[in-house]
Amino acid sequence: MSYIGARVRPIDWESRTRGEIRFTADLSSPDHLHAAVLRSPHAYAEIRSLDVSRAERLPGVRAVITHADFPAGITYVHRGAPLSDRPPLADGVVRHVGQEVAAVAADTPEIARAALRAIRVRYRVRPAALTPREALRPGATRLHERVTDEANVAVLLRTDWGDVAAGEAAGEVVVEGDYVYPSVSHACMEPNTTLAAWNEAEQKVELWTSTQAPWFIAKEVSHLLGIPHDHVICREVAVGGGFGAKSKASEHEVLAAALSRKAGRPVLLALSREEEFGANKPRHRFETHLRTSADADGTIRLFDADILVDNGSYNHMGSSVMRVGVITLGSMYRPDGARFASRLVDTATQPGGQFRGYGTPQVSLAVESQVDDLAHRLGLDPLEMRLRNVGPEHATTLCGYAVTTSRLADCLVAVRDGLDWDARRAEHRTLRADRGLGVAAGMHGSGAYAYEQANRSDAAIDLFDDGRVRVRHGSADAGTGQNTILAQIAASELGVDLADVEVLSMDSERTPFELGAWSSRGTHMTGSSVGLAARELADQVRSLAAAKLGAVSVTLRDGKAVGETGEVDLGDLVGLSDEARDGCLSHEVSYVLEGTEMISPDKDRFNLSPTYAYAAHGALVEVDRRTGKVSVLDYVAAHDVGRALNPTAVEGQVAGGAAMGLGAALGEELVREGGRIVNTSYLHYALPRSADLPSIRPVIVNGEDADGPYGAKSVGEMSIIPPGAAVANAVYDAVGVRITELPITPDKVVTALAEQEGRVRRHHVWRRPGRWWVAGIRMLYPLGLHHVLHRWGTRWGRGVGAPGSVPAAPPRILRPDTAAALTAAVADGAQAVGGGTDALVERERQPRPAPVLVSTIGVPSMRRIVAEEGRLRIGAAVTLAELEESLPPELAYVAAAVRSIASPQIRNSATVGGNLAQEKRCWFFRNGFPCYKRNGATSPCYAVEGDHRFQHAAIDGHRCQAVTPSDLGTVLQAADAEVVLLRAVGSRRIPLAELYDGPGELALAAGEIIAEVVVPLPGPGRRGSFHKLALYQGDFATASAAVTAEVAPDGTWSDVRIILGAMAPTPWRASATARALDGTQPTTDGVRRLLDRELDRHAHPLANNGWKLDAVAGLVEHAVDDLLER
Amino acid sequence: MSDRAPRAHEVELIVNGRRVLAPASRTLASVLRDDLDLTAAKVACGRGECGACTVLVDGRPTMSCVTAVALVRGPVETLEALAEEVTDLREEFADAGAFQCGFCTPGQLVHAAALARRADELVAEDDLPGVVRDRLSGNICRCTGYQAITGAVCAVLARRAGAEVPS
Repeated sequence: MSYIGARVRPIDWESRTRGEIRFTADLSSPDHLHAAVLRSPHAYAEIRSLDVSRAERLPGVRAVITHADFPAGITYVHRGAPLSDRPPLADGVVRHVGQEVAAVAADTPEIARAALRAIRVRYRVRPAALTPREALRPGATRLHERVTDEANVAVLLRTDWGDVAAGEAAGEVVVEGDYVYPSVSHACMEPNTTLAAWNEAEQKVELWTSTQAPWFIAKEVSHLLGIPHDHVICREVAVGGGFGAKSKASEHEVLAAALSRKAGRPVLLALSREEEFGANKPRHRFETHLRTSADADGTIRLFDADILVDNGSYNHMGSSVMRVGVITLGSMYRPDGARFASRLVDTATQPGGQFRGYGTPQVSLAVESQVDDLAHRLGLDPLEMRLRNVGPEHATTLCGYAVTTSRLADCLVAVRDGLDWDARRAEHRTLRADRGLGVAAGMHGSGAYAYEQANRSDAAIDLFDDGRVRVRHGSADAGTGQNTILAQIAASELGVDLADVEVLSMDSERTPFELGAWSSRGTHMTGSSVGLAARELADQVRSLAAAKLGAVSVTLRDGKAVGETGEVDLGDLVGLSDEARDGCLSHEVSYVLEGTEMISPDKDRFNLSPTYAYAAHGALVEVDRRTGKVSVLDYVAAHDVGRALNPTAVEGQVAGGAAMGLGAALGEELVREGGRIVNTSYLHYALPRSADLPSIRPVIVNGEDADGPYGAKSVGEMSIIPPGAAVANAVYDAVGVRITELPITPDKVVTALAEQEGRVRRHHVWRRPGRWWVAGIRMLYPLGLHHVLHRWGTRWGRGVGAPGSVPAAPPRILRPDTAAALTAAVADGAQAVGGGTDALVERERQPRPAPVLVSTIGVPSMRRIVAEEGRLRIGAAVTLAELEESLPPELAYVAAAVRSIASPQIRNSATVGGNLAQEKRCWFFRNGFPCYKRNGATSPCYAVEGDHRFQHAAIDGHRCQAVTPSDLGTVLQAADAEVVLLRAVGSRRIPLAELYDGPGELALAAGEIIAEVVVPLPGPGRRGSFHKLALYQGDFATASAAVTAEVAPDGTWSDVRIILGAMAPTPWRASATARALDGTQPTTDGVRRLLDRELDRHAHPLANNGWKLDAVAGLVEHAVDDLLER
Repeated sequence: MSDRAPRAHEVELIVNGRRVLAPASRTLASVLRDDLDLTAAKVACGRGECGACTVLVDGRPTMSCVTAVALVRGPVETLEALAEEVTDLREEFADAGAFQCGFCTPGQLVHAAALARRADELVAEDDLPGVVRDRLSGNICRCTGYQAITGAVCAVLARRAGAEVPS
């Protein structure tokens, strides 16, 4: 049978779903060493001295390497001279925070970390540009000597395609604007990991490494180690997601190899999640200035672009990412001309890397936003506008692409049909609901001819004498399903059962030449080579069978060769071949693609790819005008992939890429402060969680492209291109504001809507003497105070993560079973914890973490929830999950708040007491910045100058801008809760409002712990509601509001509580509003007016978080709606 | 390892039905992976933020990377022991395309196993896909967009509860 086009299971589904398949970090190797990397804390600095001798002398340290362990002046090859510029370890200069300076291998991870701290580096810090615009300013420090005429411009592309003058003349409507697609992280679930084993006798190294392209790893590692390419031997291992990140060598591969060579032992180097976010190579940020013109018919006539691409500090893949990005202007539509100038700009930030879509999503955001704007200007339906501009099939585009098949128009129609486009648009206009539809189109090649030999793929097939078949290819399946598709092809050509086909990938010794899985080339290149190998092997087998059976025609099916005279098992034919060895008949081929053109610096038009894939995505969004929250309600992703070889795998690529694109559209962004990534954790990186996404509906517009293997084109990258513009266009359709910088977070939407509605807040700080001191300090921050505190003040601090400080030993953890033992331990200095889920993480960043932790969870009396005398007594060790399950219906709003906290897993461990007591919420504080609260009084608050849009106080901020993170702290105040505090002698009960005396800081006496929370059970007239704005499901509140009131039958309110969370250092009570509502029959608008007045009177927002006042007022409106509803 | 009495700072755990002694201050994830070679649970963040390390403790999905051994409050089950129980989930995952790279899959399946034990109760909810998406929001998947995971879990829950499979 043929498996082409069949929905078959992944061939390794059993081992993957049993958790048996081994990723690199799962490999058992009892004698391997653990590596760690010393990274630069500075964006740009000279290394005055580097002394590793103390680290080398530490017991258990087996190797330390620096740039001196590599040939002088050597750099990664990557795209070759003159672009090669990146040393394997910093050579006298560091150019970004996180750059690798030294690496160690030791017996344990703890020793390796201690060794890092024993390395002495003296830096001389230099100023350097951290953004492209700074880097282009006259007088900016040059990070490198480049070949262009402009300082800090690594590559300059300036091109006219087609007839620009004609396009210029024909344009009747012109739109112009600036668009930003930020730097986003791949955030692969498997951190980059390498296990390296050096063989001294043979001068070879074996690598088990998370890669999409073993050949490129061998290329770079062999070059840097000075050994032949074939002395670097990659082995097959499971790879946990790539998305481009793992398609070229990073640093862990060669560092592990060099450490193994020096130590003479195998070395495992696994990046931490913090390193993944903070030092890996993210998507290049593009700032695109675009002018697009169209004629009155809606035909696009000209694209004119000026683009800045943030290269980061070294040329990783920036030149080709920029090249592919600008191609967007001349590939999909058919204007008369396109003109662009594009600069790859050096900044002292981590180098950008390869990321799914490779420059196209960035430029596409600008193009597809402006196509919409033109449609609106012309009074055309945006989808119809695109249909008018679809380029023809079998034609050459402005950028030189020789398009084969294109079913883009069918994709657009599929979106129109799938979303019920016309009817819904009409309905939205009538209902004036804040809902909108958006569409965006895109195209992408099926493997770019980006390197020598990228048009070649070799593959081999083995037929064993037991009838099994093995495909061997040198690429790597990081989750794309490539191995399964290749097995489908081999099984179909050889007429064997799919279960009898296995695939060996990656192995440098046992697989033939292949450049790997990148640029969406897997299906075309290895699909073609494996198909060719299988067909030729099938021919051999048929000849053998014909001879044996005396048959004229032979077909292969069901594992047999069947002729008119009889049949024979395929395995039985192996021995009949002269070429068979050891019961195996192998056949190896080399597939060479004709007709494509390689990228070269001397040309500006190339036919890079054998076929081109297309897609149109449509989004239905709802915008909450009150909070700025954008929700995607429905999403159709229609793709022209040629023929889908495995529709389930194709749909997976479509939905997965669309989800990733929606993440970038709505939340994801790497945030930097002083060149250092701030949000180095999943907690602070708003990638979509399951509940954040709609049902994404993939549509395969099935076709057939004769130039692709079995009719197939590509899909992997295509799906991430349209979501950004599709969502931006839908938001515009919904509420009439055009967001041009991703991600479309609530701050941007609320700010744009406030402008649209003409709302302004005035806080009159000059009338409030109590705020003058804070206002004055804030004014001084940008005038040099921040610089002085950061540069000099932090040196006087407690030494958070400073060289020389010793990592804390693991704590002793006690779990007493009586309250007396618990309070005795606390009296002795132990830190009280609940489930420990926050404390264990936080202690990693504490300068002096408590040596002993004592948990409440073993004390039975603290594990109970008891209802008595009209009160609910909740033990501090009750988990959040248990609390949620036990709350009575009249406290449903408390349960809703609990459900919004973290994840179900955390709620199963985390306790009520621990939630109330958890550490303050600030991404500078929580991610290791040496801030005032962490490091001491001479250190700065990084939030003043840094990104404080979401997490920081807009009311009452003082020296520290952090807020109390506990949602319980907010909602339980609205429930009039009290807290019982216990110590070795005696206990006391205080209102919850008095529990906090600072952001996440408890007003406990020495030796005191939270023992119990007491919540009055509300009477029948009491109503409550809790609303929270968060960047993803389970995130801490960006803002939250809890409102409760006694509501009389006639609708009169009394005893009102309005508590705002994440707005001030501690939960903030809107007392004036609450008082004013007493005895009234409120309306939502009325409450909003009162609250706005109160907020304006008290707030003192930072430069960019004033929007939170609008958002929290919006949350209160939602809550008031709830109270009025019943 | 399991026959002797616990030493100071050691705690007795029941892992997949087996008695195990482990240092009290270590994380459960490191004991499972490094000492017991139970590597199905992955460590992808080490901060309890991604769900790749999910195991069941006393039947409840738990982040093993931020759970100190001393604070484990019940028997531990990992995917190695749950694989047979969730054969239907595993097959549905494979049919639906509910994993690509498979790194988060053990955590997803362990969490789904806990949901499947409550199939009757969950299927009675109004919006089963919404409930499943909520429950699985602590398990990050970067490959699939969650679409197929949600579909597969809903299908199995419905089947186990003898209900119709929601579309």
